Amino acid sequence: MPDNETITLELFRYHPETDSEPRFQSYDVPYDEDWVVLDAINWIKDYVDGSVTHRWSCRMGVCGSCGMMVNGEPKLTCAAFLKNYYPFPIKVEPLVNFPVERDLVVDMEGFMDKLQDVKPYIIRDDVNDTSGGEYRQSPAELAQYKQYSMCINCMLCYSACPVVGHEDEFLGPAALALGHRYNKDSRDQGQSERLEVMLSSEAMWGCTFVGECSVVCPKHVDPAGAIQQAKAMGAQEYFKRFVMPKGAGV
Amino acid sequence: MSAGGRPTRPSGEAFWWALFSGGGVMAAIFVPAFILVTGFLLPSADAAAAAEGAARLATIAGWWPVKLVLLGVITLSLFLCAHRIRHTLMDFGMRRHAGLLKLPCYGGALAGSVWLALVLWGI
Amino acid sequence: MSGQYHRSHSRAWFMERPAYIRFMIRELTSFFMAAYLIVLIITLAKVGAGEAAAAEWLQALSGTGWKVAHAVALAAAVWHTITFFAAVPQAMPIYIGEDRLPAPIAKIVMGYGPWLTVTAVILWGVLR
Repeated sequence: MPDNETITLELFRYHPETDSEPRFQSYDVPYDEDWVVLDAINWIKDYVDGSVTHRWSCRMGVCGSCGMMVNGEPKLTCAAFLKNYYPFPIKVEPLVNFPVERDLVVDMEGFMDKLQDVKPYIIRDDVNDTSGGEYRQSPAELAQYKQYSMCINCMLCYSACPVVGHEDEFLGPAALALGHRYNKDSRDQGQSERLEVMLSSEAMWGCTFVGECSVVCPKHVDPAGAIQQAKAMGAQEYFKRFVMPKGAGV
Repeated sequence: MSAGGRPTRPSGEAFWWALFSGGGVMAAIFVPAFILVTGFLLPSADAAAAAEGAARLATIAGWWPVKLVLLGVITLSLFLCAHRIRHTLMDFGMRRHAGLLKLPCYGGALAGSVWLALVLWGI
Repeated sequence: MSGQYHRSHSRAWFMERPAYIRFMIRELTSFFMAAYLIVLIITLAKVGAGEAAAAEWLQALSGTGWKVAHAVALAAAVWHTITFFAAVPQAMPIYIGEDRLPAPIAKIVMGYGPWLTVTAVILWGVLR
């Protein structure tokens, strides 16, 4: 392979202090088949245009910060190899369904609020009582939720989901899967507290099982499956409350 | 209210989803066979064959366990359709009227179910 | 915060990705199924009205237009069945100890098995 081969990256550019509308800027980057899209963007920032703004950290699919739209698909740019697109140009945009802060960086605030809404931590009635020792859990109990605990909050699923784009109230795939992860944890006692939020109008029921969240997930979390299970759990809880209203006494 | 300021009151969506979900199972298992029977096997251009098909259908549909199955399967399937049609209309730009859409969609399914019950009563 | 850029979706958002088109096709099966269910209730109503009325109705249903309509409804219904069973392993996982029942087996046990059984019973009941 000759050394002078290049590939074109078209980057979404938006600087709020000077731009009222985004624009695309093309850069020719040396082509290396070992390179991923993130390497190419880093090369542009280091050698051509230091004003390009993007998020990244680990370069190995663990930190979840380099998610972007690559030719319209939500991808971790550290896992999107140039060779899969070469010799055609690659269009890189910030994740859709999020407001754009600057260039390839989106505002995560709304996502963070939704994560907090599902109370993603173990809730216990007897949290101060440690006299009984640790909370034990069998491998079979662990298997119930382990898949849903692998989320790295990369938000690719939010960009793949049309309901996220249309319905502000919708908690979204990652947050709902995380809520379900704690609901399925045998050590947790916060199910009804969590379902309080998830049962509200469009928070979870907005999901129409398009299923793309699970397709784009780099960690095989399967949020779509988790949400369907959470819905079934929520429906049970709904009928239970219907039969035995809260405060009616036991 | 939660961190994101969302309401935490349970909504009736759980109820409609439960009907949708049950309808999804029933429709998946029963409806293709129903269509085969009433759309292809029983209809006939020949008057004698059509009469025989009608007699056969009357015998089968007149048996009360079959009536119960028909009532359950068709009612739930109607709610499956109502739920999907409502969400499709929301997807086509009527999301602001999500609440209002319940009336024609679920109301239609309910009306169909009542009609069906009366029809089955009369067989 | 000011200065953020908000992108919006078009009315035709479902054309944005092939998966969205497949999703829409799945959802649209419900229109055809609803139409069929109404015809089915009419058929039952004709049965209730007497065998002469039912026979006349079954004769009308043998027309080409009705056959085409039923073929479309059948395709829609079968597509609903296939897509519904595809979701079963995700929506209703079955665990045997630490192991999850493999998806193909779950689909047969909770989907295609009952479907074929019920279909066979219905066809046997009508044709015998």
